Amino acid sequence: MATQAETTEEQALLDKFLAEQKLFLGPDPEIMRNHSFGKRTAYEEQILSRPLDAHKLNNVRGLINSALDESYVMVEQMGAAPGAKWGDLVTAIFTPSGDLSMIAPHGIIAFASCCHYPIKFIIKNFIDDPTVGVRDGDGFIHNDARYGGIHNTDQSMMVPVYWQGELVCWVSSTIHEGENGATEPGGMPAAAESKYDEGLKMPPFKIVENFRIKRDLLTFLQNSVRDPKLQLEDMKVKLHAVLRLRERVLAILSQHGRDIFACTLRKNLEDVEIEVRRRIQELPDGTTRVQAFMDSTLRENAMQKIGMTVTVKGDTMTFDFRGCSPQFLNRAINTNIASFKAALVTGLLQNVWPDLPHTMGILSPIEILSDPGSLIDAHDEAPQAMSLMPLFKACVLPTTVMAKLGYSLPKRYTAILAPQYDQAATFIYGGLTQHGDVTGNFCADINGNGQGARSDRDGEHSLAPVFGFMCDTGEHEIAEEDTPIIRLGAQVLAKDRVGFGKYRGGLGYEQIATVRNSNMWGFMTGCEGSKFSSTQGLFGGYSSPVYQLCKIKNFNVFDELKKNPEKVKFDLVSLMNEQALPGQYSVHDMGMTFELCQEGEIYMICQGTGGGYGDVLERAPELVIKDVAEDLISPATARDIYHIVFDEKTRVLDEDATAAARTAERKARLARGKPFDAFCKDWVKSEPPAYLPYFGSWDDPAQIYAGVPGQRVKTTAAEQTGVMMANPKDLRIAELEAEVAALRSGG
Amino acid sequence: MKRVSVDIGGTFTDCFVVWDEQTVSGKALTTHHNLSLGFNDSLSNACTQLGTDVSTVLRSVDSVRYATTLGTNALIERKGPRIGALVTAGFRSTIPLSRGRGYGEGLDQSRQQDIPNADRPEPLVPIGMIREVRERVDYLGRIFMDMDEEHLRLQIRDLVDASAEALIVLLTNSVVNAKNELRTREIFLEEYPAHLLGSIPFLLSHQVAGRKGEYARGTSTIMDAFLHATMYHGLGTLELNLRSLGYEKPMLVNHNSGGMAQLNSTDALQTVHSGPVSGIAASENLTVQAGLGNIVSTDMGGTSFDIGLVVEGGVKYYDFNPVIDRWLVSIPMVHLKTLGAGGGSIASFDRMFQTVKIGPESAGSDPGPACYDRGGLNPTVTDADLLLGYLDPENYAAGTITLNSRRAHRSIEDALSDDLRLSAMDIAKLIKYTADANMANGISTELRTRGYDPADFTMLAYGGNGPLHACGIANALGVDKVLAPPFASVFSACGAGNMNQMHIHEMSTYTVLFDANTKVIFDDFSSFNANVAALEARGRADLLRQGMVEAEIYYRLELDMRYGNQRVQTAVVTEITRLNSRMDVLRLIDQFFARYGDRFGKGSQSPEAGVRINTIRVCSFVKQPMMVFSDLSPDLVKPIDATPKTTRACHFVGHDNAVDTAVYGESALAEGTRIRGPAIVTTPATTYLVEPGWTFRAAAQGAVWFLRADEMRM
Repeated sequence: MATQAETTEEQALLDKFLAEQKLFLGPDPEIMRNHSFGKRTAYEEQILSRPLDAHKLNNVRGLINSALDESYVMVEQMGAAPGAKWGDLVTAIFTPSGDLSMIAPHGIIAFASCCHYPIKFIIKNFIDDPTVGVRDGDGFIHNDARYGGIHNTDQSMMVPVYWQGELVCWVSSTIHEGENGATEPGGMPAAAESKYDEGLKMPPFKIVENFRIKRDLLTFLQNSVRDPKLQLEDMKVKLHAVLRLRERVLAILSQHGRDIFACTLRKNLEDVEIEVRRRIQELPDGTTRVQAFMDSTLRENAMQKIGMTVTVKGDTMTFDFRGCSPQFLNRAINTNIASFKAALVTGLLQNVWPDLPHTMGILSPIEILSDPGSLIDAHDEAPQAMSLMPLFKACVLPTTVMAKLGYSLPKRYTAILAPQYDQAATFIYGGLTQHGDVTGNFCADINGNGQGARSDRDGEHSLAPVFGFMCDTGEHEIAEEDTPIIRLGAQVLAKDRVGFGKYRGGLGYEQIATVRNSNMWGFMTGCEGSKFSSTQGLFGGYSSPVYQLCKIKNFNVFDELKKNPEKVKFDLVSLMNEQALPGQYSVHDMGMTFELCQEGEIYMICQGTGGGYGDVLERAPELVIKDVAEDLISPATARDIYHIVFDEKTRVLDEDATAAARTAERKARLARGKPFDAFCKDWVKSEPPAYLPYFGSWDDPAQIYAGVPGQRVKTTAAEQTGVMMANPKDLRIAELEAEVAALRSGG
Repeated sequence: MKRVSVDIGGTFTDCFVVWDEQTVSGKALTTHHNLSLGFNDSLSNACTQLGTDVSTVLRSVDSVRYATTLGTNALIERKGPRIGALVTAGFRSTIPLSRGRGYGEGLDQSRQQDIPNADRPEPLVPIGMIREVRERVDYLGRIFMDMDEEHLRLQIRDLVDASAEALIVLLTNSVVNAKNELRTREIFLEEYPAHLLGSIPFLLSHQVAGRKGEYARGTSTIMDAFLHATMYHGLGTLELNLRSLGYEKPMLVNHNSGGMAQLNSTDALQTVHSGPVSGIAASENLTVQAGLGNIVSTDMGGTSFDIGLVVEGGVKYYDFNPVIDRWLVSIPMVHLKTLGAGGGSIASFDRMFQTVKIGPESAGSDPGPACYDRGGLNPTVTDADLLLGYLDPENYAAGTITLNSRRAHRSIEDALSDDLRLSAMDIAKLIKYTADANMANGISTELRTRGYDPADFTMLAYGGNGPLHACGIANALGVDKVLAPPFASVFSACGAGNMNQMHIHEMSTYTVLFDANTKVIFDDFSSFNANVAALEARGRADLLRQGMVEAEIYYRLELDMRYGNQRVQTAVVTEITRLNSRMDVLRLIDQFFARYGDRFGKGSQSPEAGVRINTIRVCSFVKQPMMVFSDLSPDLVKPIDATPKTTRACHFVGHDNAVDTAVYGESALAEGTRIRGPAIVTTPATTYLVEPGWTFRAAAQGAVWFLRADEMRM
C-alpha cells in the first residue's frame, strides 16, 4: 500500500517523537568519535575577539597549574589504590563545554585526551534533564570507558564549578582503582567474554549532592566490588581533591574575573593545536608505516594485526589504522576508538614531543582513520576489559613512525629512540589477604618496561610504563605488608633477553612470586609477546625476545627453603633449567586468566627489553664487554650476536680478532643476502599461511582475514562484524575426546 | 652565651659568633682542599669585629657547631670509595633499577617528562659490585630461609677481591628482624679481622634507616658509605684544627633532621643539606622568639629557590624519603622544597603561548648571567633586574662582580625582542613578573597541599636574591608581610647555632589501631609501649654517650598513621607516649582525625576503613640555650625617615614609565629606618628592593620588614 508523503511539519513532528523516545542513553557516537575540541561558544568568541594579553593569560595558566598540582598531590597522598601510590591518576580542568584544557603536571598523559567524554555526555543529556540536572555541589562518578576513559578500572569524580551563578568550568579527578567487581579480581578480567563480565560499568551519574557522597549509591557500589574499603576511601579522596581544586578555581576567578579565566582555558587548547600544526609542518611530507602484531587474545594464540600508516602533508597529519584485526566478540582485548586515541596521544607526548602541554589540543589537528568493528574501534557490546593490549601498542607505535619522519630534522624535540617494551608484565592478583581483607589489584611492576635504545646511547633498564613518566615500581617490603605475595625474585635483570643493536634496549627484569599465609589467593597475567616479539627494533636493531610464564606447582617452596634451601634458586632460568625442586614445571604464554595459587607454588614472569637501535656489528666492543661484566649478557651472546672475541676470564678484548670476526660476519651476510626482487619472490605470499590463526588485513587494508586454521573467513573491512572464538576448554575437551575415541577404536 | 656556629657552603664559609650581648659574623671563601683554612679566615674576620683573636674566642665559647655542604659536594663530584653491596637473593637489581623513577629524582619536571632522554645517574654501586645473600625474612620479621653462611663468605671475598673499599648490607625486612644483617657483620669480621684488612666500613641498612622500603634504605646506606671517608676526613680536619687553636669541647655537627650531635655520633648522610636546614632552624627560633606566627622561609640564590615551613603549634614537616642529589633516601629530613629558580634562571621565548618562559635552564655561576661578562649570552633574571635599574653595577656582590648593563640589554633584545615584539625594558619587566609568579606558585603549592593559606603566613626572604624579589613574590602570593631576617647574609650559620642536641630513631610497625573488618580496637599496649621505650632508650644512649644528663632529656613521640591502605602517612605528634587503655587509642585516633582533616579538608577522613600506625618515631633531645633574637616588631621604635644617597630611574611591573627611585646605603639598616617604596637599599650582601606600594622598615639586629602599604602600621 502506498504511503502518503509527510509534509515538512509532519516530518518535524516525527523527528521530535523519535528524538524524545530515549530507551537508553548509551555511549553517544557523536561525542565518542570526535577527538577535537569544540567550536568556540558565543561567549568565548566574544572574549577572545578582544585584544588579549598573552602574558596575563600565562600568569593565570600558572595559577591553574599550581592548583592542579596541589589537587594531584592530595590524591596521590591520600589515595588507597595501588595505582594512586605509583601515580596512575590525574586531576583536570575543563571548559564549561567539557573540553579538557589542562591536566595536573604529573598526571598520567592518556587522561589528557579522554577525561572529557563523560563530561560532554553529562552536558548533553543531564544538564537539562529535570530528573538529574547539574547544580553547584553536585558530583558525578564514572568508570565505563565506552563513555570515555582509558579502561574500566579507572574511576572518575567530576564536579561542575559555578561562579556568580554561571557554570565556569568542570574539574575532575581520576584514579586507576583496580578492583571493580569483574569476573576476575583486579579490574582487568582477561576471562571476560562479554561486557557483562566486566564488573562495574558506570556511565556518568550523580553521586554527590551538596558536596556530600550519597550513602545509598555508595553502598550500592561497595556491594558491587570485592574491596568495599577501597571503593569508599578513594571516592572520598577524589571528591575532596576536586573540591580543593574547585576552591582554588573560585579564588582565581575572584582575583582575575571570569573573562580572563575563560580565555585561558580556551586559548590553552587553541595554542597547543597551533603548535602541533607547526610541528607537523616541520616534518617532511610523505607516508611511512609500521606494522605490529598482538599474538594472543589472552585466551588463545592469535596473530592480530595493528598497522599504522602516517601521512604528512603540510600541517596536516593522518594516522590510518584501517586494516587492523577485527574485534573479538567474546574476548576482552578490544578497545573503543576513543580510548585508542588517548593512547596515541600518550605515544606522541611520551616519546615524540615530551615538552608539549598535556591537553586534548594535541590530537585535535590529527585525522585518525579506523574501521568500525575492528579491534581498535570495537562496538560497545564487545568486551574491553583488557583493552590495555591494543592501547599499549598505540602508546609505542608513534615512536617508530615519528623517528623515521623526524630523524633528519634540524631541530629535535627529544631523542630518537626505538620502541619501549609494551606489555603489562605484572602480576594481577586477588583473594584473601593475610589480614582477612578481600582484595584484587595488580603489582607496580607494570611500571618497569625497558626503554628502547637511543640513536646515541643504550636504553635504560626498566624505566617507566609506556603510559607515564616518574612512575614507581615500588618497594616490596611495603607491598608484602598488604598482600600475602612473597617475592623470591623481586627484581633481577633478565640476562640475555635483550633488544640488541649498535645501542641496546634497556633490559626488563624477572618477577618470581609465591604466596604465604593465605589459602585463597590467585594470580593472572595479561600479557602478550610470548610467541611473537612484541617490541620492534629501529634502523636495524633487534626486536625484543619473547617471554613466557613459568610455573612450579604442586609443592611448597617454603618447605624446601627449610629442608633443602640449597636447591632453591632465585632466578627464573636456573629454576627452570635445573628443575631441582620437587614441583610440577610448566611453561605457558603470558596470557593467564585468574587461577588459584596454593601456598608455596611459584609463578614467574618477566618484564621485557626495549628495542635495539642500529646494527649489532657497529656496537662498540667495550660496551659489549661492559654488558658481560654486568651479567646482562653471557659471553656466548657476546660472541654470537655481537661477534667480538675476548678472554672470558680477564674480559680483555682481542681487537684484531674482533675486527676479523665482524668482517667475516659481514661477508656471511652478503652471502646470505638476495636481490630485493628475489627476496620478494620467496618471501611474499598472497595470503596468510593456512596454519596461522591470523586476524586483520594482509596486503589490502580493505580485505580482512579472520579465523583459526581450517576456519578462515575473508571479508571486507566495511562488512566485518567481529569474531567469536571457541572456548579453549571446549577445544581441549574435543581434542581429548578425539584421543579417547581413537584409543577406544584401537587407533 | 658565647658560641660559634658555621655554615660551610659550596662558595662561602659563613661564621656567626655570639659573644655575650654581641653578635658578629664573618665570611670567607670555602677552601675545599682544607676546610679549616676557610673557617679560620671566616672566624678571624668575625673576631676582628670583636677586637679579639681566634684562640681567645675558641677557648671561651660553649660550643662550635658546623653545618656543611661537604657531603653534597662530594656527591656532585662523585668522590667516594668503591662500594660493594650484599643484598637478599632475588633483589640484586633493586639498587640499579631505582624503582624505575630513579632516572628523574632530583630533576625538574621538564626533564622528568623527557623520557627519551632519561638517564639514570652514574651509580654509586655499579651493577658488578652487587652480590646476593641467600636468606629471607618476612614482613613480620619471621625468618623463612636461614642465611647460607658459607655462600655469604664467598660473596664477601668476591667483593673484597673486586677492590671494594666499603661494604653495605641490605637484607629484606631487616628493620623488623636484624638478625641476619647483624650476622653478616660477624662473618665479615671473621673473614677479615680488623688486623688483616684494616678498617673498611661495613654498614648495615637497618642501622642507617629504620623504616621499610628496601630501595630507599639501600640508597641511604650506600650514600652513608660513600660519604663516610670524605666527611670523616673533612670534619676530622676541622676538629684537629679546633684543638690546635685551643678549643677543648666536643665539636658539634648539625644534622638535616634539625638537630645536632657530636662528630662521633653523626652519620655522614645526616649532614647533607644541613646548611639550608639550619636556615629553617633559625626561622623556627625566630618565629617563636619574635612572635611571627606561621612562617614560610625562602632562600633565593643564583640557581635555586628553597622553601621551608615553620608553623605555630610545633608541627614539624619532614621529608621521610627526601631526594639527595639524584637519589631517593630514607631519612627524616626537615622538609625543604627546592625549585630550580634563581637569578641565573634563563628567560626564553615560549612559542606556544607567545610569552616568556623562565628556566628550567640556568646560567648558574659559570658563565652566569650575561651581565657578568663571563661569556654568558642568555638573558637571565639577574639581567632583567639589572636592566630595570635595581642593581648597582659597581657594587654588586660587595663589588666583586662588575655588571655590564649593555650586555644584559643586548642579551634580552637578541633572544626575545623579535618574538615578543616588546622593548627590552618591557621584556625585563615581564621576566621579573613571571619569575616572581613562578616562585609564588611554588610557595602556594607547598602551603596549600598541607592545608594552609599563604595569607596566614609571614614570608621570610633571605639568600642573595631574596630581598630583591621579596615584594614581587609577595604580590603574586597575596602576602602582606615579608621579613628579611636578622643576619640575613649568614642566616644559615646563625641557625646552625640554634639547634638542640637531638637524635631521631624510628621503626616500622604494623599496628592496627582500628580493624575495620573485625571492628576491633588495638589492645596490645605492652608491645607498643615496649617499642616506644626501646626507641627512647636508643636516643637516651646516644645523648648520654655525648655527656648529656639523663634528667635533661626530652622525648617527642611521632606516629605515622594512615587510614585503610592509603599511602599518606600523616605524622601525628602526640603527648600520649604510653598506651594504657583503649581510650588512649581512641584519643590517638582523634588526634590523627584532626590532623588529617586540617591537611586534606574536613570530611576527607576515613576512619571507617581502619586506622594503622606504620612508623613510630622518637626524637630524643636536650634543650640547648638559644641565641636571643630581639623583638622585631616593626613599630617598636619611632620611625626614622632616612635620606637617600641618590636616586635612580627604575622600572616596575605595572608602571609604564621609569620611576625616580631613591637609593639608600647600608645605613638604612639602622633600626627604625622607614622608607616608602619605590626605593632601593644596596648593601654588600644583597639589594633590598622596595616596590611601589610597599614600605621598608628596619628592625633590630639588621632585620628588615617589607610591609604592604598600610599606614596604620606606621
